[in-house]
Amino acid sequence: MTTRSSLRHLFLALAISVTSIAIAGDDPGHERHELMEGVRDAAKPVGAMLKGEKEFDADTVQRSLATFAKASEKLGDLVPEGSEGGEAAPAIWEDPDGFAAAIQEWSDAISAAVDANPQSLDAAKPVVGPVFGACKNCHDSYRIEED
Amino acid sequence: MKKTSLFVGVIAVLVLTATWLTSPSSLGQSDLPAHAPDPVAGERIFWAAGCASCHATPVDGRRAKGEDKLRLGGGLQLDTPFGVFRVPNISPHPRDGIGGWSMLEFVNAMQKGISPSGRHYYPSFPYTSYARMRIRDVMDLRAFVDGLPPIAGQPEDHDLTFPYSIRRGIGLWKRRYLAVDPVIETTSADSQLLAGRYLVEGAGHCGECHTPRDKFGGLDKRRWLAGAPNLDGEGSVPDITPAGKNVSAWSAEDITYYLESGFTPDFDTVGGTMVAVQENMAKLTTEDRAAIAAYLKSIPASDPRTGESDANDDS
Repeated sequence: MTTRSSLRHLFLALAISVTSIAIAGDDPGHERHELMEGVRDAAKPVGAMLKGEKEFDADTVQRSLATFAKASEKLGDLVPEGSEGGEAAPAIWEDPDGFAAAIQEWSDAISAAVDANPQSLDAAKPVVGPVFGACKNCHDSYRIEED
Repeated sequence: MKKTSLFVGVIAVLVLTATWLTSPSSLGQSDLPAHAPDPVAGERIFWAAGCASCHATPVDGRRAKGEDKLRLGGGLQLDTPFGVFRVPNISPHPRDGIGGWSMLEFVNAMQKGISPSGRHYYPSFPYTSYARMRIRDVMDLRAFVDGLPPIAGQPEDHDLTFPYSIRRGIGLWKRRYLAVDPVIETTSADSQLLAGRYLVEGAGHCGECHTPRDKFGGLDKRRWLAGAPNLDGEGSVPDITPAGKNVSAWSAEDITYYLESGFTPDFDTVGGTMVAVQENMAKLTTEDRAAIAAYLKSIPASDPRTGESDANDDS
């Protein structure tokens, strides 16, 4: 194998990666899936606290809330016409106002929890509960479950 | 197709030659215990039994939420392989609902699947599960429903395919499938486990969706709660025994928390028709949910279950 062909391989590999990144960037369906995965990962440690499996930690709660807040701002931009499919329910496009309201409900609950800045599990439960409840409410109308 | 014609033949012969076999059998006044129906206790039974999930009138084509779950005017459609079932009005409206029914008529409907005029109900109404409830619980439930808003209007009748359209045939079906015995036999005296069994096998009627049915539409109790095709839509209903691939790793606490919050241990949310069920379960007590979890964890995994003849099984 010559240096020249190795270089060509490298170039090819680079070109493919760049293209895939570009495709990913143009694929809102993929992006919103990733976004939601991130939300779920952020929900896990907080959920474990609510369940009593993990000790309460105020900083972790705030970090997760920050992740939720960012996601709630972005989600509405990731459902352009033509990006239907995946676990996104057709209702998102049939009832965009309802979908926007569901995101707003989530966003409001997040803001309230951030402001409350709970320092104990008992303080967290009543403000984090509605944040989680908003996930469920929105999924109920705007997500299709895949096996 | 061959199965269907065989079924039609069998049903026709049996209905003609043994009409008495299909006659409804009902409870009498003396079967009702001396019990003052308690609407407060009845509310717990109402949520455990999931009445609202089918009988609450849909709002703008979507399932009812919040207070609308207490408006039991019916109207939900269930598209099943047997045809379309239209859920009736069970609000306390005197003409269109059940307001005019006696307590005995209500108990017979719930536990014997018989209407006040003596007709069989289709088992889409899960009386085969409700039959396992204590009569006093059914009486409390009635007292609670009596306090809900009366709703006028009745949905159209069911639209079923032949031979399921022959109501009388259900009498035979009941002889085979309507039983009050517990599905999972146990000698355990563990009160939590028994409370869970009572909720799951009775009012909760979990088996109606989570247990597969045989070709006559009866539950295959040997595969109790072991998952089934979704009769009202696409996909399947998961196996919730300890062997189930989705829930085998769940602890009893995970199940309890799921029923309370709607979140799986992986922090995904409850989906599909289970959303309404979980919301009902969230209205029970923590002890109730823990009892349900204890029972589910106790189900013997993939053990051939007794209590059913296999004369009519596909195997």
